[in-house]
Amino acid sequence: MNLSVQTKAFALLATLGLIAGCSSNQTMDDGAYDSASDVAAIDQSGGSTVYGGSDDGGVSAETLTEEERMAAEQAALREITTFYFDFDTSEIKPEARDVLVAHARYLAEHPNQRVRLEGHADERGTKEYNLALGERRAKAVQRFLIVNGASRGQIETVSYGEEKPAVMGSTESAWAQNRRVELVFE
Amino acid sequence: MTYRTWMTFPRAAAAILAACLVLVAPARAELLIRITEGADAAIPISVVPFAEQGALPPGDKVSRIVRDDLTMSGEFRPLPPEKMLSLPSRREDVFFRDWRLLGQRYVLVGELSRQADRVTARYELFDVNQEKRILGESAAASVNNLRTLAHHISDKVYEAITGVPGAFSTKLAYVTVDNANGKPRYRLQVSDVDGKRARIRLESREPILSPAWSPDGKALAYVSFETGKPVVFVHELATGKRTKVADFPGLNSAPAWSPDGKALLLTLSKDGNAEIYRMELASGALKKLTNHWAIDTEATYDATGEGIFFTSDRSGGPQIYYMERIGAEPRRITFGSRYNARPRPDGTGDYVYYVHQRDSAFHIARTNLKTGDETILTRTQSDESPSVSPNGRMLIYATKQGENSVLTVISADGGAAYSLPASEGDVREPAWGPIVQ
Amino acid sequence: MTNRERKVTSTGTPPWKSPVALSLLLHLVIVLVAVTGWTWSSPSHEPPPRSISARLISQQPEPSPVVDTRDQPDRDQQRRAEQERQRIEEERRKAEEARRQAEAQAREVERRKAEEERKRQEALAREREAKAKEAARQKAEAEAKERARQKAEEERKRQEDARKKAEEERRRKEEQARREREEAERRKAEAERKRLEAERRLREQQLEALAEEARRAEEAEALRQQQAAAAKAREAQMLSESEKYQALIRERLSAAWYPPSSATEEMTARLQITLLPTGELADVRLVSGSGNAAFDNSALSAVRSLNRYPVPDDRETFERYFRQFTIEFNPRRLR
Repeated sequence: MNLSVQTKAFALLATLGLIAGCSSNQTMDDGAYDSASDVAAIDQSGGSTVYGGSDDGGVSAETLTEEERMAAEQAALREITTFYFDFDTSEIKPEARDVLVAHARYLAEHPNQRVRLEGHADERGTKEYNLALGERRAKAVQRFLIVNGASRGQIETVSYGEEKPAVMGSTESAWAQNRRVELVFE
Repeated sequence: MTYRTWMTFPRAAAAILAACLVLVAPARAELLIRITEGADAAIPISVVPFAEQGALPPGDKVSRIVRDDLTMSGEFRPLPPEKMLSLPSRREDVFFRDWRLLGQRYVLVGELSRQADRVTARYELFDVNQEKRILGESAAASVNNLRTLAHHISDKVYEAITGVPGAFSTKLAYVTVDNANGKPRYRLQVSDVDGKRARIRLESREPILSPAWSPDGKALAYVSFETGKPVVFVHELATGKRTKVADFPGLNSAPAWSPDGKALLLTLSKDGNAEIYRMELASGALKKLTNHWAIDTEATYDATGEGIFFTSDRSGGPQIYYMERIGAEPRRITFGSRYNARPRPDGTGDYVYYVHQRDSAFHIARTNLKTGDETILTRTQSDESPSVSPNGRMLIYATKQGENSVLTVISADGGAAYSLPASEGDVREPAWGPIVQ
Repeated sequence: MTNRERKVTSTGTPPWKSPVALSLLLHLVIVLVAVTGWTWSSPSHEPPPRSISARLISQQPEPSPVVDTRDQPDRDQQRRAEQERQRIEEERRKAEEARRQAEAQAREVERRKAEEERKRQEALAREREAKAKEAARQKAEAEAKERARQKAEEERKRQEDARKKAEEERRRKEEQARREREEAERRKAEAERKRLEAERRLREQQLEALAEEARRAEEAEALRQQQAAAAKAREAQMLSESEKYQALIRERLSAAWYPPSSATEEMTARLQITLLPTGELADVRLVSGSGNAAFDNSALSAVRSLNRYPVPDDRETFERYFRQFTIEFNPRRLR
């Protein structure tokens, strides 16, 4: 029921192109929803301008050429290789989209570059489910990259579930940092 | 005072008196008192240190092991030997009055005698209140196998009192993680149910997950990341022979044996999404049992061997589903909260146990399959990996103790918990082995 | 009368048995009559006495045989003498006869005359005699009559007396009977009276008893109601007392019972227990088992584990509820 409502609602929003900055419901993730969000993200690529179009960006733009400015911006974005998720979701957060788009463009521009997406979960919940959840997160990122220019052959996914936490401990902060997909360029 | 008088009163006279009282008693509406609840406590039992004939090797005494076994079950509360008024080893020396005064319900006495490399245990179990012997046997083992002997005695005592076969002679498989030097070392181990006599079966720098016992107790299936990704192996314990049974692209995980030991249920994502498959071990042939965009994993056969329980988030979050037979539409079992996963049915078909989220905590819960009633069994948080003992009476699971994960045994109805002594680092992924005759 | 006359007239043929007596009597009577008659009749009537003497002689010979018997030794002679004498006799007699015939004829005329006279005299005598006889007869008859009358009178008197006596007797008897009857009746009446009196008294007593009974019943009913109310109150008290101790026992047994892990909610074990007033267990009996030995044992062990059952001090409540009762073990809420 939720599914169909969400799907319809999202389809409507996507059609209207009104998504930018819209944080979708984090608890209502499922496969169909992920796919829709990936697809929607492509349409929103233009929307990242809105996101990136901050005052800071406007200030620096005057000192650099447009291309230099863009390249520097992309390189800075690509410094970020870890993407975080909410509990029991595989939905890419809006703030991650520009970065992932940057990675996708880079991969598109460098066809020999390979990347491994390592999906992780926090320690909560069951190991096997978390293993699947980590995989789903990795695959969500993989789809996003492919949709944004990367080719399937460049990308490998693996899930470690909750087995390889980035941060030890049983705190909200640790959990938040452990629910992630890491891009490992080889 | 009166109590002693009564106790020394000749039984025959007492019987006659009682008969007379019955005869002279006037007719009256008979009172009926219903007892619908029992003591919310473990049964007091005294395991008296066994007498010993001949030199026995150092280490835990057999009676001590029995005591610990019974304690671990959560159903018994053994009296510390220092509180005993006497240490009888034969019936003649058992003074029921004393044990009664100590509030004991049962007394186990025995004697170990060594002949060459064999040790024979002769033991007797008494019901203190009924002043009746309810068990009297002897068993033998090699002198190096006194633990086996002890667990055997525990099984017999447990069965005599509860009416259910004991599961103290079974084995546990689990994974330990040693994070010394910042480099984790994963070890798959097999031990007695009390965690003793642990033996490492596999050591790896990469994670080991989901050990699963073959029905005959001779092999383990598990997930190893030793190749950099999850791969399912079958490991014959006697020979150490390992077989990579599932190494498909994506996930290869969540192995579970079919009751006949000829097939494994697996979670594979080779087709893009985590689905449940059945693999015939002889041929490697796969049959896809689920086909859904959601995560379907953690499958296990039910008590009949016909249907399967599994975890699926097709409703939005992980929940337990039951497929009555292969191909049937899965039916959702759990509704109590938004997170219920990793089902483990007991052997009776009455209950299914699983990890259950309540608020921010994860507990072990069970659902009565007949009534649908859900009960949360654990008081700890961050609980994982429930595994039911083969007699259905105990449950082992992993939980956090400080920074580390430890194994805890509870009675299947949620009674007293007993933590297995942890080695250094985490102990996780317990799997309770079958009763092997 | 006639018979007497005839006797007199047939003198010629009198009975030969006593001729002398007869002749004497006859002569006496004739003389008597003659004398008598003579005195008052004419002298012409003199002759008849001679004839009478003649007749006397002729009658004399007959007793002679007595003398003959003295001459018997000389019979032949005597017989010839006799014969001769008889022939002389015969001739004499014939002479006699002829003379007598002459005389007879004379005498006959004489005799006829006398006869007539005598007849006449006789008729007269007879007439007198008849008259005398008649007088005597009349006299006798009168006397007889008188006697009969007297006798009848006596008889009448006797009968009267007897009658009177009988009457008297009857009356006496009747009187006695009456008295007896009356006495009996009186007694009977008395008895009846007494009986009635007794009955009356009995009735009265019964009535009294009934009244008493009714009164008692009323009192008893009142008492009973009072007692019932008290008993009810007592019952209620006992019940509440009983419930209190039931709860205590339940609590103690619940704490003492360790249902085995194999227990299910379908299992029920019923135990009948018998207590002593002190609360000590006298006996326990498994009335119906659960089918699970461990379960039944747990129940038995629980029941035996209490050293002393909480029981009311009140003996009646104890006897009523706790002397013997049943405990049912049936887990409703397994952990």
